[in-house]
Amino acid sequence: MENELKIDPILLEEFLKFNKNLIEAPKMVPAMDEINLEMTPFDVAYSEDKMRLLHFNSPVQKQHKIPIIIVYALINRYYILDIHPQKSWIKNLLNQGFDVYLIDWGTPTNIDKFLGFDDYVNGYIDNCVDFVCDEADVEKVTLQGYCTGGTLATVYSALHPNKVKNLIATAPVIDGRKDTTVVGNLAKHMDVDKMVETIGNMPPEFMYYVFSVLKPFEQGLEKYIHFFRNIHDKNYVDNFLRVEKWLNDTPSIPGELFRQWIKDVYQENLLIQDKMYVGRKLVSLKNITMPIFIQVAVGDHLVSPECSMPLYYAVGAEDKTLRIYPTGHVGMIASSFSQKKVLSELGQWLSERSK
Amino acid sequence: MESKAEAQKKPDLKETADYFKHLSLFWTDMAYLISSKPSALTSAGPMRKFTMQTKKLANEMIESNEDLIEFNNRLTEYYKQLSDTWNEAQKRFNTKVPEIPNDVEQIESSKRVWIDIFENAFTQLFDSEKFGENFGKLISSELELSKHWNNMIAVLLEAVNVPTKNDLNEVYQELHLLRKRVSKLEKSEKKAVVEHNGK
Repeated sequence: MENELKIDPILLEEFLKFNKNLIEAPKMVPAMDEINLEMTPFDVAYSEDKMRLLHFNSPVQKQHKIPIIIVYALINRYYILDIHPQKSWIKNLLNQGFDVYLIDWGTPTNIDKFLGFDDYVNGYIDNCVDFVCDEADVEKVTLQGYCTGGTLATVYSALHPNKVKNLIATAPVIDGRKDTTVVGNLAKHMDVDKMVETIGNMPPEFMYYVFSVLKPFEQGLEKYIHFFRNIHDKNYVDNFLRVEKWLNDTPSIPGELFRQWIKDVYQENLLIQDKMYVGRKLVSLKNITMPIFIQVAVGDHLVSPECSMPLYYAVGAEDKTLRIYPTGHVGMIASSFSQKKVLSELGQWLSERSK
Repeated sequence: MESKAEAQKKPDLKETADYFKHLSLFWTDMAYLISSKPSALTSAGPMRKFTMQTKKLANEMIESNEDLIEFNNRLTEYYKQLSDTWNEAQKRFNTKVPEIPNDVEQIESSKRVWIDIFENAFTQLFDSEKFGENFGKLISSELELSKHWNNMIAVLLEAVNVPTKNDLNEVYQELHLLRKRVSKLEKSEKKAVVEHNGK
């Protein structure tokens, strides 16, 4: 026959192999709840309401006097910073001789819907800083904030500069108007008052929707095809599941905090203009005079570099460093690249300023 | 284009909804006036409270129908934007890859092209003013529906003396303020102890 359809035998083989992988997958791959993250051991040093301050046990002798408090983001959970022993941000800092604390915000429920910026910054973070200063017998700490935690750490440093020795802002949300991501576009058109008044806390389901429109084909389709193709590669599967577990584990955000966030940071863009009020106090970024290290990622599709970088120009500090890395939002904190490049640069910068 | 005569023939949804709203309010008013006298006898039970609130229930029901129309319009626009973008992206893909791929390498490369084209087209859509605006209004109309449902449930809860959402919000707010006051007191007490010991 002239019009006979010719199929490449390799193509057929690939197709059959893919189908075989689909059938075999449940036998080879653990369920997400069965994954052991092999996290660095920690003690709960302090807790208040749902918030916990974790103190990580160091395998090496402490070499720097000033402890680090990591302010984790409001979205997803803190364990991305300790997602894999070989890609752990926390373990790396411990191995460099730093004393590491981390704020885990827990899971807010309806009773927490009135918690706002003031409670988070002047309440929880301030209490954690006081606690660590007491425990480590120091007057100041190093504060590191990741993503929305970067914004909280920045606001705290502007309001309490006398308690912060160094500030590290990793992909912080600062200039909402310059944010070029889909998140920024959705935030600008949101009737946030009606949302908070009607549903209270921001539910995780809404966050999942927002994540789903970020790179929908690459992240929503291609990623899973790739996964089923590679289910025999143990390392790949292990890394994939750890990150997927994290991506699909986000608590709700307290309503009042969410309202202030969307209005002040995204819609009215008050933070970068030094017009934002937290607990009746004006937040002036000019008050940030301590050494500051800002880390942004070129491929960040959650917090665009244009949204984070203005912090560098807005602060009053003379000792300031901006590092731009060729990676993404998660790649900057939980990858082989971050271990080799991001953390070694940070460690060097910080060790000179932690005496 | 639609002629004037055709446009006049179409029923006005708003007018129809308003008519039914009026009709329903009239009869619930009448029912309340007629029934309120005997039901006053049962003033401690749920019936009295419930009959007093039936007007509110009817009102919420009608208004939620109006918001349902808005929600449907926004949802239709949402899916229209998605399907228009899909069609446009598919057209672009067809011009770039006119032949059906037949071997592994070809399939891989055309899949890459497909993903790139679709990713760009949809990211452009999600980043656009028109998407953001419609999405914002879609969520807003959905929230309006939630509000009506909340209000209707509140009528039933009030009738049987069970706390409503507003009652609970009052409690949450009170607890929030109390927690703040306790924290402030603890801080000042700690400060006083430190000062005292320092002296």
